[in-house]
Amino acid sequence: MPSKRVLIIDDEVSIQKVVTISLKMEADWSVMAASSGKEGVQLAESHRPDVILLDVMMPGIDGIATYEALQENPVTQSIPVVLLTAKTRTAEKQLFQKLGVAGVITKPFPPLALASEIAKLVHWSL
Amino acid sequence: MQSTPDGCKFSFEKDLANTQPLTASSQTRLAKVMELMAANPEASCILAVYRQKVIGIATRSDLMRVIAAQADWPKLRLSKVITRPVMTVSATEPKTLTSLLQQLEQHRISHLPVVDGQGNLLGLIEQNRLMQKLLHQHQQYRSPLQHQRTQQLAEITLKIRQSLHLKDILQTTVDEVKRLLDADRVLIYQIFPDGTGKTTREAVASPYASILDIAFPEEVFPEDYQALYAKGRVRPVADVHQLESGLSDCLVEFMDELQVQSKLIVPIVQPMNPSVGETSLSKQLWGLLIAHHCRNPRQWSDFELDLMQHLAGQISLALSQGQLLEYLEDRVELRTAELTESNLALQREIKERQLVEAALRQSEAQLRLITNNLPVLIAYVDSNQCYQFNNQVYEHWLGESPQTISGKSMKRVMGKAHYEKVKDHIVAALAGEAVSYESELTFQGGRSHSVSVTYIPHIEPHSRPHKEVSKKNNRNSKRKSKPQVKGFFALTTDISDRIAIERMKDEFIAVVSHELRTPLTSIHTSLKLLATGRLGELSDDGQQMLEVADENTDRLVRLVNNVLDLQRIDSGEVTMDTYACDTAKLLDQAAEAMQTLAQQHKIDLQTQAVSLSVWVDPDYIIRVLTNLIGNAIKFSSSGHSVRLTVEPYLPHAAPSSKSNSKQALFCVQDYGQGIPSHKLAVIFERFKQLDSSDSREKGGTGLGLTICRKIVEQHGGSIWAESHPGQGSRFYFTVPLSRAQA
Repeated sequence: MPSKRVLIIDDEVSIQKVVTISLKMEADWSVMAASSGKEGVQLAESHRPDVILLDVMMPGIDGIATYEALQENPVTQSIPVVLLTAKTRTAEKQLFQKLGVAGVITKPFPPLALASEIAKLVHWSL
Repeated sequence: MQSTPDGCKFSFEKDLANTQPLTASSQTRLAKVMELMAANPEASCILAVYRQKVIGIATRSDLMRVIAAQADWPKLRLSKVITRPVMTVSATEPKTLTSLLQQLEQHRISHLPVVDGQGNLLGLIEQNRLMQKLLHQHQQYRSPLQHQRTQQLAEITLKIRQSLHLKDILQTTVDEVKRLLDADRVLIYQIFPDGTGKTTREAVASPYASILDIAFPEEVFPEDYQALYAKGRVRPVADVHQLESGLSDCLVEFMDELQVQSKLIVPIVQPMNPSVGETSLSKQLWGLLIAHHCRNPRQWSDFELDLMQHLAGQISLALSQGQLLEYLEDRVELRTAELTESNLALQREIKERQLVEAALRQSEAQLRLITNNLPVLIAYVDSNQCYQFNNQVYEHWLGESPQTISGKSMKRVMGKAHYEKVKDHIVAALAGEAVSYESELTFQGGRSHSVSVTYIPHIEPHSRPHKEVSKKNNRNSKRKSKPQVKGFFALTTDISDRIAIERMKDEFIAVVSHELRTPLTSIHTSLKLLATGRLGELSDDGQQMLEVADENTDRLVRLVNNVLDLQRIDSGEVTMDTYACDTAKLLDQAAEAMQTLAQQHKIDLQTQAVSLSVWVDPDYIIRVLTNLIGNAIKFSSSGHSVRLTVEPYLPHAAPSSKSNSKQALFCVQDYGQGIPSHKLAVIFERFKQLDSSDSREKGGTGLGLTICRKIVEQHGGSIWAESHPGQGSRFYFTVPLSRAQA
């Protein structure tokens, strides 16, 4: 499988870092990171990644608003989005699924199986 | 006026007879008779008449006797009391006063009705009145001596009648007879039931000896004599030494001892004791009135005989009155004693009641103190949904005093809108069901509070169903078997604080779940990546430190996950996504998931599964199984096996199952150290592992079994453990079979 390009949008720099290393180590994917929704939408538009990992709880524009912005943009609307969340409430998860995201990954995620988890959600074969 | 042999003439109408005697029908009730007697205090008797014919007579004494003896006397009829037949005297036949008196005395009667030729009642001759008349006539016609004697006789009679005491009457009699007859010794000789007798009263002139209290030998007064006297024999003996007196030698001898020359004996007879219940006609000899003349022999005159007889008659009357009096006094005494006793009993009862009431008041005061100081609304509602009791808290919370609420309907007090919301609960409570629900209540000041309400039905303890077998009555018996609910107790607790705390807890956990998990994710992921060694080699010590950090981060992640899971299940947030699943597949999936761990610990996982269809959320049931299998592996020594089974199960044997439908029974069995019996009951509670060191050593969080229990309970099943220390443990849980299989 050719190397995938991943955009992580998370205000936590440490998460950006572990995700970057994890995906590189596990699947040799290249990761670009954005620390806010606004920056994320810009990067997505300019770089058109293969998948976007989007944190739900962010200051300012949160994950849901960012997702809506991505969906409204014709350039980014077809890019699959996987939500990253620490929220465990069933109702919230169901709400996210209804938005039409490719999938939801709950923190803490399995660090050595993150790539395979993402691939499963977006139906890639590793 | 006609001339009669003794010169006494009379007219019944004018002089002698009472022409308006008291009369009544013999069917008159005694209550009415006594009213008549009371209205006519002069009347000494009442005549029972039928069509102007006298058919019976009842004296005041007769009536008194019946009243004293019969409790139900007011209902009795006059016919039960009257003496009959009644001796009458014809108004057309000429009679002398003396002959009338003789007739009265001869028949021992005191009243003589006067009738005309056809027997119709004209009037009534009374003994008293007759005697007064006689006295009057004697004053007119007799010699001065006779006149004096007659007057004296009347005087004695009156004197005797003045007293009701027998002792006085007897003494007066002997004193007066002695004086009047100028006798030397007058005595009253009383005869006892055994035939003996003695002198009980005496008047004796000097120098003659007193014979008071001397017992007479029996020969002196043999039984056949007694019989004669009982029939009314009067015995005048002019000279005891004369042959014609007919006295036995021994009696003459006895008379000589007493210096008696002449004697006169008249019997004193009396009616039977009324209390014994014998008829008034049977008479008995009570004693004798005896006059002795000791100076010389003496011829007793008719007058003297009359006098003695008359006085004996008076004594007889006094005796019967005395007896009646004594009897009445006894009755009064008895009744007084009874009344005193019942009065005392009543006082005791009053005192006991007062004590009970005081105790009740105290207990009620204590209860009020408690109910008024509990921070709970307490009320009693009757079957008409009206408040019968409210504690003081109603005033503090709702601003309505118990007095203003009492008796009012719940609907009125709550307001229609609130009542409609809780109406079903009220109806359920009045149908005998214990009800609990949560609601909102507006306190005074308008602030709404969350409240928890419990209704406890008050069921009549004696309303057990009647056992009726008849088919006909089946419907009735069903109606009767319904419990009789008299009302219910309503307890309302303010749970606003609890709700607020729960909300805070939820918020806190939500924050923790994000704020704790994000840094934890970074640490966890970083350590995992480092541990791969692909980011550079570490020294041996560095590698060891990394592993310690990695293992403990794993544990921390599990702990945080478990805490959050438990909170979610507890709060009811988790809804099980249940559908029909196969037990064998569930068991295989769980075993497969745990295979790696089992291999690490060199544990053999053995599976023996029956294929059953159960109604479960498979993710959660696999989680329970993996948790139990994980524990079994961790607590087994390497080389041992862990057995997994599933089979059909009838739940009656389960210690805490609430369901009665068929279930599947899962079992995870190990052969490890086992669990002490006192720990078995608590291991499903939070942080109740065998000991805290196990938790650290085996990497557990102390919440796994609690989560298992919650999940199983959410499925309507139950979970328990059996163990013998040293022989391993068996963890069982049940889940319901799917409808098709159950």
